[in-house]
Amino acid sequence: MGAFETVIGLEIHVELGTKSKIFCGCSTEFGKKANENTCPVCIGLPGVMPVLNERVVELAVKAGQVLNCKINKINKTDRKNYFYPDLPKAYQISQFDMPVCSVGYLELGEEFQGKKIGITRIHIEEDAGKLIHLEDEDVTLIDYNRAGVPLVEIVTEPDIRSAEEAHDFLKKLRNILVYSEISDCKMEEGSLRCDANISIRKVGSDVLNTKVEIKNMNSFKEVHKALLKEEKRQLELYRYGEEHKIVQETRRWDSGKGRTVTMRTKEDAHDYRYFPEPDLPPMILEEKYIDTIKETIPELPMEKKERFVKDYGLSQKDAEVIIDDKATANFFEKLVSKTKDPKESSNWVITEVLRSLKEYDEIPVSSQQLAELIKEIKSGSISRNAGKKVFDKMCDTDKMPVDLIDDLGLKQISSEDKLEEIVKEILDKNSEAVEDFKSGKGKAFGFLMGQTMKETKGKANPGVVKKILEEKLKKM
Amino acid sequence: MKVSREEVEYIAKLANLKFSSNEMDKLLKEFESILEHFVNLDQEDLKGYDMYSFEEKSLRTREDKVVDFENKSELFSNVKKMRDKFIEIPKVVD
Amino acid sequence: MYSVKEIKKGLEEKKFSTVEIVKEYLEKIKKEDKKIKAFITLREDEAIKEAIEVDKKIASGQELRLLEGLPVGLKDNIATKGLKTTCSSKILEDFIPPYDASATVKVREKGGIVIGKLNMDEFAMGSSTENSAFFDTKNPWDLSRVPGGSSGGSAAAVSAGFAPITYGSDTGGSVRIPASFCGVVGLKPTYGLVSRYGLIALASSLDQIGPFGKSVEDCIYGLEGVQGFDKKDSTSKDVKLPDYFEEIKKGIKGLKVGVPEEFFGQGIDKEIKKKIEDNIKILEKLGAHIERFSLPITDTGLSAYYIISSAEASSNLGRYDGVRYGIRAEDYSSFEELIVKSRTEGFGEEVKRRIMLGTYALSSGYYDAYYKKAMIFRKKVEKLFDDAFDKYDVVVSPTLPILPFKLGEKINNPMEMYLSDTFTVNINLAGVPAISVPAGFSKEGLPIGMQFIGDKFSEDILFRFAYALEQELKLDLDPWKEGR
Repeated sequence: MGAFETVIGLEIHVELGTKSKIFCGCSTEFGKKANENTCPVCIGLPGVMPVLNERVVELAVKAGQVLNCKINKINKTDRKNYFYPDLPKAYQISQFDMPVCSVGYLELGEEFQGKKIGITRIHIEEDAGKLIHLEDEDVTLIDYNRAGVPLVEIVTEPDIRSAEEAHDFLKKLRNILVYSEISDCKMEEGSLRCDANISIRKVGSDVLNTKVEIKNMNSFKEVHKALLKEEKRQLELYRYGEEHKIVQETRRWDSGKGRTVTMRTKEDAHDYRYFPEPDLPPMILEEKYIDTIKETIPELPMEKKERFVKDYGLSQKDAEVIIDDKATANFFEKLVSKTKDPKESSNWVITEVLRSLKEYDEIPVSSQQLAELIKEIKSGSISRNAGKKVFDKMCDTDKMPVDLIDDLGLKQISSEDKLEEIVKEILDKNSEAVEDFKSGKGKAFGFLMGQTMKETKGKANPGVVKKILEEKLKKM
Repeated sequence: MKVSREEVEYIAKLANLKFSSNEMDKLLKEFESILEHFVNLDQEDLKGYDMYSFEEKSLRTREDKVVDFENKSELFSNVKKMRDKFIEIPKVVD
Repeated sequence: MYSVKEIKKGLEEKKFSTVEIVKEYLEKIKKEDKKIKAFITLREDEAIKEAIEVDKKIASGQELRLLEGLPVGLKDNIATKGLKTTCSSKILEDFIPPYDASATVKVREKGGIVIGKLNMDEFAMGSSTENSAFFDTKNPWDLSRVPGGSSGGSAAAVSAGFAPITYGSDTGGSVRIPASFCGVVGLKPTYGLVSRYGLIALASSLDQIGPFGKSVEDCIYGLEGVQGFDKKDSTSKDVKLPDYFEEIKKGIKGLKVGVPEEFFGQGIDKEIKKKIEDNIKILEKLGAHIERFSLPITDTGLSAYYIISSAEASSNLGRYDGVRYGIRAEDYSSFEELIVKSRTEGFGEEVKRRIMLGTYALSSGYYDAYYKKAMIFRKKVEKLFDDAFDKYDVVVSPTLPILPFKLGEKINNPMEMYLSDTFTVNINLAGVPAISVPAGFSKEGLPIGMQFIGDKFSEDILFRFAYALEQELKLDLDPWKEGR
């Protein structure tokens, strides 16, 4: 039995960051009361008609451009017909054979040598409403707030070869789309959804075996886990010669149970009866229009990363961490412009700032605050440890470090005169340790440092203390 | 044009319609007579004609602006069963 | 009863008040509509309230709008806010739209007073109005006969004098056919000239709202009441609108008329053929040039039409599931049952038949053979009309190959019913305008209609021909005169 490889393709739905819905003027705002963002058009009353939101076209074209796709100047919408209670018109306006973008790619990160994952197509479509199935009643409730929210569907080629690659793909995709302000890509709010198709084959084969669709993965981590699990399940079947048991089906990822489960196959092969949407003439995009959109694309993650490495001398790894979040990258640059110290700045950003984002939704300190904090530490006014305490305080207040240092009484004692006095005192009190040090016990030095720091309640500037201690001991 | 009963039953499923056995018999006959007529479509010379022609102006779009529907209170007045602000239906199994 | 001009003049000269006029029409309806059954819903109280406002306006000397004070009837597939809109279907029997169709808005903005909603074939599917879920409408000229369809109520109402202007919709002849059967003028405008927003869709690429009037001038008022660009309809066209009243003064001298032989072939009632040919001679007398030519689209056009319209209808009617509006079946134990029962119980036979046909034509395996082929043929029809209009200003034909038939005569044979649309459907496929004008009567006194077909946005030319013929024929179009 030869080695096997995993073949994965992803189907990602992304909510476009528009103010109003795709075919009507209803708000797309998340978290409103049920059925508040609705009108005759998006709930499919008899007689209504769609009018396309211009920003949807712009963002879809932009998505194609940042993913290196071909923009199809002539593209059109089609009706996808099926019945489901979250679909008001019993058809979804989507794009079938002439989508807005085709044939592009996305590069993975350093870890995967920048491997290119092919993008088959990107098309525009409208979202459906939301269903809430009650637990203890035989009732389902329908909320149409989400019906008509604009989506793009991004389909990848089956180029992904592992759950890790899939995870990286999603991270890179989210980054690019957030950077270019196409979507906020929040899986927890549903503005990014991912389904996967996965199959196994012998290495070297170019045939695609039976693929299984996996749904209901609600975070990037879950996508990773689900794919690992399904890959394992399929591999085992191959190992035991039971690969025929792998059928083309849709399986639901059950995060509680930690495995994929066959979904009730209510859908044999769905016959969607696609036909061109008669209420919407085709789009004919002009070259000038497409170029104008391209000009609005800001610096993308890859470019920024390269620039950080080049201009600020950061390592590839550090740069990749910082650019992972657009706001963090912007913060970093502002910080550097103030401190003129990329290394120190990147240190603080990678450690304290990123850690703070686990607790707070946005970076809780200003670049000015942090810049001044760094200055204080550099000048020796406080120790680095004290600095961390100040940072924590800064997260909850607009106060500047100078004030906070006073408030917290953290000012470091750096005056050589003062410290000389204290060190002399310590040495006098601890003659035994001095003798130990003189007889070669290095630990004694640490002990004497510790005593000094204790005496000053940790406020002594350790660098200065070390210098004074060394000098004094030499003389003794 | 012969149509099988299975085919028509499949179509009825797709369309969410139910027919009694008699109605199905009748429908089959009508289908056949209608589809018989449609055969003339096959005899047409359609060379040089394409389903799509993109000569017209591009689709007109609207500004991305929130415009609230002015009669929201009446929007769900035709629903037979509401629960709070939701529409209520029997439980749907995924 | 009155022409639009008579009403407008009468109101301006204070010969009568708006309230008097509206009440007169309402009285007539209440008295005579028992026989015709054109109306589903009457909008009495509101109409009179609006009439009072118009009278106040007149009293204070304000300028009157185009349709100020005119009673208007709307086919019951045109949405009216707060007023039941049923499409003559059980599934919408209690549906009250929370919004107005754009056509409704325009009529009201021009001062028209909506007095009621008119009977039709269920969801506009039919050529005789017999597919209404509620009741049959009778032809005012012979109460044992159909008024045509699907806008039977709208045509009968104008013919019987229940309103000076009514509106219907035309997908494959649904304005022109009842216009012909009821002896009134009915126009299907160019696709895109009148907004479809709020017209409950049958076939989105074919539907258009069209006006009925007893005279060509009344029909012009009707068109002017609703035509024009609407941003809510993405297929609505923004074009320069001519002054039709000025145009009709020009007559038809020097204009070229194309006579397609295939529209005069076998299968046409002999009386109809003769009547139309006589009228063509009149056009010649009035100075138009007549030429026969070949337009071989009638049979295949019918197939293409029924495939495309059924396909689009099957999709448009998917939303009727009892969830957000319309009837919900009484007992159901699951969502699936809820939909299937509501639809099966709520839709009539013809509607179900067409939904099945349309679903079939779009289903995988048949899409290419039916829908795609029909759509390709449609391009051919467009081209052939295009070529014809390079040579001719207008193309003429009988509106139908048959005279108004008896109620119940064709209802059991769908294919035979579809054949009545032979001369009208291709116009919708091409998106061009066409008007049906009263052309005379059969020996038995049944109305015969003549159809004028024009190039896109050539309603002005259609009106010129229609007006010229009307003024020449000077037909008596009062069905009550026959002693009914």
